[in-house]
Amino acid sequence: MARFIARRLALALVTLFILSFLMYGLLEFALDPLVDLRENPAPNREQLIANRVRLLNLDVPWYQRYFLWLGNFLQGDFGIGWRTMQPVGSMVRGAIATSIQLVFAATIISILLGVTIGLVSALRQYTTFDYAITFVSFLLYSLPIFWVAVLLKQFLAISANDYLQNPTINWPLVITLSLVSGLFWAGALGGRREKKIKVFLTALVVTLAVFMVTLMTGWVENPSIGIIGVGVLSIAFALGVTAIFAGMNNKRALYSALTTAVLGTIVWWPLQWLFHYWQMSWPWMLGLLAIALAVAAVIGWLFGGPDRNISIRGTMLAALFTSVLIFVDRVLQTWGPYNDTPQIRGRPLATIGAATPGLHGDFWMQQLDRATHIMLPTLALVMISFATYVRYQRGAMLEVLNQDYIRTARAKGLSERVVIVRHALRNALMPLASIVPVDFITLIGGAVITETIFGWAGMGRLFLTSLGGQEVDPVMFYIILTGGLAMIANLVADFLYAVIDPRIRVNA
Amino acid sequence: MSQHNPEAARSVFTDAIKLSRDTGGPVEKGDVILDVKDLTVRFWVGQEWFTAVEDMTYQLKAGEVLAIVGESGSGKTQSSMSLLGLLPPTGRATGSADLKGTELVGMSIQELREVRGNEISVIFQEPMTALNPVYTVGFQIVETLRTHYLMNPSAAKERAVDLMRMVEIPDPEDSFNKFPHQLSGGQRQRIMIAQALACEPKLLIADEPTTALDVTVQAEILKLMRELRERVSAGIILITHDMGVVADMADRIIVMKDGKVVEHGTSQDIFKRPQHPYTQQLLASVPHLAEHVGDGELEGPPNTVIETEGRPVPLSAPRTSSEPALLMEDVAIVYPKQGRRPEFRAAEHINLRVEEGEVVGLVGESGSGKTTLGRAAVALLPVREGKMTVAGHDITKASMKELKPFRRTVGIVFQDPGSSLNPRLPVGESIGEPLLLHEGLKGAELSKKVEDLLDSVHLPRSMRNRYPHELSGGQRQRIGIARALALNPKLLIADEPTSALDVSVQARVLKLFKELQEEYGFACLFISHDLAVVEQVSSRIAVMHQGHLVEVGDTLDIVTRPQHAYTQRLLSAVPVPDPDEQRKRRELRDAIIEREHLVS
Amino acid sequence: MSNDNYENISDDADRIEEAVPDAPAHDTEIPVDTNDGGELAVERPTDEADEAYGRGEGVGEGQEVLGLSQGQIVWSRFIRHRGAIFGLITITCVLLLSLLSMGIGPIDGLWRVQEISSGDVINGGRPTLSLPGIGGSEFAIGLNPFGQDSLGRDYFAQVMKGVQTSLLVAAILGAVAITIGVTVGSLAGFYRGKVDMALMRFTDLIITLPVIVLGAVLGALVGRLPFRLGAGPELTAAIRDQMPVLLAVALGLVLWTGLARLVRSEFLTLREREFVDSARVAGASDWRIITKHMLPNAIGVIVVNGTLLMSAAVTLEAALSFVGFGIAEPKISLGRLISENQGAFSTRPWLFWWPGLFIILIALSINFIGDGLRDAFDPRTKKIPSARAMAKAEKQLAASRAEYQRSKEEAR
Repeated sequence: MARFIARRLALALVTLFILSFLMYGLLEFALDPLVDLRENPAPNREQLIANRVRLLNLDVPWYQRYFLWLGNFLQGDFGIGWRTMQPVGSMVRGAIATSIQLVFAATIISILLGVTIGLVSALRQYTTFDYAITFVSFLLYSLPIFWVAVLLKQFLAISANDYLQNPTINWPLVITLSLVSGLFWAGALGGRREKKIKVFLTALVVTLAVFMVTLMTGWVENPSIGIIGVGVLSIAFALGVTAIFAGMNNKRALYSALTTAVLGTIVWWPLQWLFHYWQMSWPWMLGLLAIALAVAAVIGWLFGGPDRNISIRGTMLAALFTSVLIFVDRVLQTWGPYNDTPQIRGRPLATIGAATPGLHGDFWMQQLDRATHIMLPTLALVMISFATYVRYQRGAMLEVLNQDYIRTARAKGLSERVVIVRHALRNALMPLASIVPVDFITLIGGAVITETIFGWAGMGRLFLTSLGGQEVDPVMFYIILTGGLAMIANLVADFLYAVIDPRIRVNA
Repeated sequence: MSQHNPEAARSVFTDAIKLSRDTGGPVEKGDVILDVKDLTVRFWVGQEWFTAVEDMTYQLKAGEVLAIVGESGSGKTQSSMSLLGLLPPTGRATGSADLKGTELVGMSIQELREVRGNEISVIFQEPMTALNPVYTVGFQIVETLRTHYLMNPSAAKERAVDLMRMVEIPDPEDSFNKFPHQLSGGQRQRIMIAQALACEPKLLIADEPTTALDVTVQAEILKLMRELRERVSAGIILITHDMGVVADMADRIIVMKDGKVVEHGTSQDIFKRPQHPYTQQLLASVPHLAEHVGDGELEGPPNTVIETEGRPVPLSAPRTSSEPALLMEDVAIVYPKQGRRPEFRAAEHINLRVEEGEVVGLVGESGSGKTTLGRAAVALLPVREGKMTVAGHDITKASMKELKPFRRTVGIVFQDPGSSLNPRLPVGESIGEPLLLHEGLKGAELSKKVEDLLDSVHLPRSMRNRYPHELSGGQRQRIGIARALALNPKLLIADEPTSALDVSVQARVLKLFKELQEEYGFACLFISHDLAVVEQVSSRIAVMHQGHLVEVGDTLDIVTRPQHAYTQRLLSAVPVPDPDEQRKRRELRDAIIEREHLVS
Repeated sequence: MSNDNYENISDDADRIEEAVPDAPAHDTEIPVDTNDGGELAVERPTDEADEAYGRGEGVGEGQEVLGLSQGQIVWSRFIRHRGAIFGLITITCVLLLSLLSMGIGPIDGLWRVQEISSGDVINGGRPTLSLPGIGGSEFAIGLNPFGQDSLGRDYFAQVMKGVQTSLLVAAILGAVAITIGVTVGSLAGFYRGKVDMALMRFTDLIITLPVIVLGAVLGALVGRLPFRLGAGPELTAAIRDQMPVLLAVALGLVLWTGLARLVRSEFLTLREREFVDSARVAGASDWRIITKHMLPNAIGVIVVNGTLLMSAAVTLEAALSFVGFGIAEPKISLGRLISENQGAFSTRPWLFWWPGLFIILIALSINFIGDGLRDAFDPRTKKIPSARAMAKAEKQLAASRAEYQRSKEEAR
């Protein structure tokens, strides 16, 4: 295994080296660092040009300059952006984290959503639902992301903020959304006509009810979950997890997941005190999550029985969900104070920047601020790659469903749930390992656009401004960073592939 | 299994609580377990119903083996899959199938699930693809058990290991944790069988259980199935196209054609006194090993040479004065190292002479290197060591340019008629390609020649404008032959030309082949895994095993008095389509298998 | 840009419908093969008729493919695909609209505004197009159907020019990328070994960077071209005029990678097919094998992914122009129109809607055509059984079955 990783790393470094060399050469021809001076009418023009040539070593042939740059780069000196005379290192300090946050959030959300929808679409092949999903994914492929991003900004953010300031319910929209929800669930769950109608009506009514309750009670203006919400949602999630991964017949798995959910809900109360009296931070959060998972594992183990692993998996998923809920609940508690801050003034959904400048909130308010900022750019990015995952997962699933071992699994008398989740899904997920890195690179590209539109001071925006500003060093830094991320993504994908597919031997 | 050894009756399995239904209680040998009446299977194709199985009626008793025989498309598989509700979504079954008082046709999917794998289980054809590649074989057996029985994992594992022991998996505890790709084809099929027997089903459907296996492995699996048949009280439905396997296993036989049962009777009746013309034709089409051998012909010492103690089979002496069509002297063919995959010596120390106009059969199991040798003989693969001469051309170290005149002297017919013709070219163009490239024939002249060739393979001339997908398998193989013969080659390599075809088609293609061989007088290296086919066409046979020639000799001697142990094993493993003779052969074969087990 | 990696998605499994699967190891063949033996011909007078149908591929297929070349079959499947036909019609309409209105090259079109120049802003630049049903009572084009921008320029003319640019870029980019991709992919797949290694490493190199990043650098390069060449004002103007072409070629040099990978894997598969060996034995040269035997069989992959690539090209060009590294003045691109009028969204939303609408129309149509082609080229595609028709037929079947049983019982 170590040899495999070492070899891949070596290959990645060589690729990165060649890539950086070629790009440096390309940039030499694409950029002109003297552009502003050439037209400069100042009398000391020649002097200025000579200064800049000295500053950027422009008198040296570019391939030699490349090695100068490389030498400095390897020593941690990434060069300067000559327009501001700032070292690249300090230019990118905040930008890297900002961009990675955005890209990762979008990757994870689109994988989860895309895979689920693609899976359902494959199971409902040739139904209206399937065709609708196909159409939507084609539409998303064809949408120019910059256009969508502007629309999101205009409609979603600004309308939502308007609503929050002056709540008047848009009934046609509510009813349309409820209808769409009804159709979606009826199509996704499928079945005979009577069942479809039943599902449609149920989903319609439930969605409508949720809308009415949340809108009319003013929940939307002041959202919160509370201990009751945490409890209800956790238990529902525990039931769902058990139904999908273990089956309701597995009583031990069911009880252990429910126990975890109930315990998590009870813990809500003491946690509020902790949150109140201690200054929280991310290490704290992760530590608490680790404790929750460990406790959940113990619960699963204790309930155990013959299928200890299934129970433990269920309890840990339930604990994860409940923990996230408690976190979200606490973050939402700052909603009111956040809204009242002078920077927000009741328009919480942000359209510009990655954080509200000059906001001095505590840990929780910062999280809320971050969430309101990241929401729209992430949504825009998800729209790019969601369709890819849907199409890909649908194809992979159909391929797998045609395999002989699926017929064998059915012939063994396994329930459809086990056939799909255990036998088909596991195999259909494997090729995902090869699509994720490719899509990840696409998303990095997409971030270039989204960051520009939403005014995020991220790497993508830095790349564009530097490229437009004829600054080589920041552009090269961006290229190395992106290339490096792509290499890591590929490496991780290969590694995952080898782990989940027993047929692949890594050390071979 | 438990009925016969009551002392072993108490086990983790018998103590387990059954979750799924137990239809009709325990069965004794001779009970009717399955009663099928007017079973019809239809498929919704295009805009109409296509009837795949029509009004099938039969009964099956416990402990009995019923073989359903037919060529591809006869509906034999679908008729059995419909019992389990495993038809594709476009399929519908009507009629009645009664499993010990429970109607299977029209059963709800929930009820069917309790029957599947529990009361009725299936052994599928291709054990590589029929087992899930990402789970261990042990897990897959345990899964079946725990679906139908309330068992904890350790008890299920115990039972699974027992089952694996029963199907003679070596080192079952260890193999329990292996993945399908880590087992050989035969072992995978044993796992399939163990999984099928896990819940002691009343009915076992074996869908071409040995088709994907080599003949020696097939023999072992058949032996296992016969033994199990004595021990379990299930009824077995054996679906196969191989009359030899039928003769080996079946008590009763149903012959199907185009979805209809054409004949139904005991094994003896069908084989000895077939009534329906189709059955007669089918049986006549099956090549029968050593069929035409009289006792009188076997005088004198056998004329075969075998490999001994690592000394390869020497080159046989020339039998005619003319130049041999193919001469291999100490030839080795090596697949070079690829990435980190080490190089693979597919064939080595090969000495073989094919005289002008002579047909030599090359027989071996998959992976023996026989196809490699055939490809090397037409310069598709380079020869690493030794010397290869084809009709006077030394092709061992020839360059592309030097090979050009050589290409005129050879032709090759491939195994898969679906893949050997370019789907984008009308078949006439495919046939004409060698003529165009070597003789520069064009226009009317080329047409004339192509039409002549079509005539000689008995295809209508109008077919030259067809595309391969418009032809049947047999027709495509005829086109393949016509193309190989276009330049009137001295040597023809026939690489399993009939193994993808149904027997009746195979019989006609073989007949055509013999006819053409007499007419054109080409020499031929006829490669096949099927000794009975090779016997029909060749005068001498070379047997290949793990990259070596192990025995070369006259056809008659090879099929009656083989000298090398491997040839003997191979020969004994070939089932013959005659129940009585097969019984004799089986005893001999089982003895050989036993002996080998003892040795190893 | 939103789908530049779409080519990598193999959803071959789409639309697989097995009609009557049975004994997969064997080629389906009806027992009546040919009338060669004579002895069989006596029993089967229908020999000739059956043979003429050459029922090779399973039931119900015979009639459908009889006497058709591969191309005709693909076409007949293609025109059954509703989405593809919708796409084809839409893209043709868009193309005709832009050509008829704004002409092509030196030839003027029919629209009154051929030279885009500023003028008086009428009625706040609101679009004069009115359609019955959609915010209008009768059909009217008016002076400025798509409205005017803040300088009073006719927006319809601008959008149509932009459409022409988009389509031109898509076509040239497609041609360049397909040429490179097919060449690289087929050489790598055919020769394997070292050639393959080298070409694929090179491909990996290009794939490492997002298309938009490489595209932006190349866009900047194209923009600087007059300066780098030290061109005088005339040459500079000429280069500026050919900007879309140059940009398309440059982007074509980036976008071929996905296609190359797919063609390579297709060639690796084809290489294992026996007809390639059999051509070699017949004495065909490498060139002949690649062009005559392998490329025609890879045409499906090439056409389908080439199409999708063009749709990616449309959005990529728009995105690059949007961020300022694509088409620059004086050429008009849809992306540039959106970028320029971004700020005017709340005051003149139509400046934002029209170019976006046309980008979507073009990209969506091409995507649908690609999807139709994919289905048409996939040999496994069968006519999709309509669930409703089948359910109906099932009821009829059950009814006729019941009647049959009844009559049988009555007879007893």
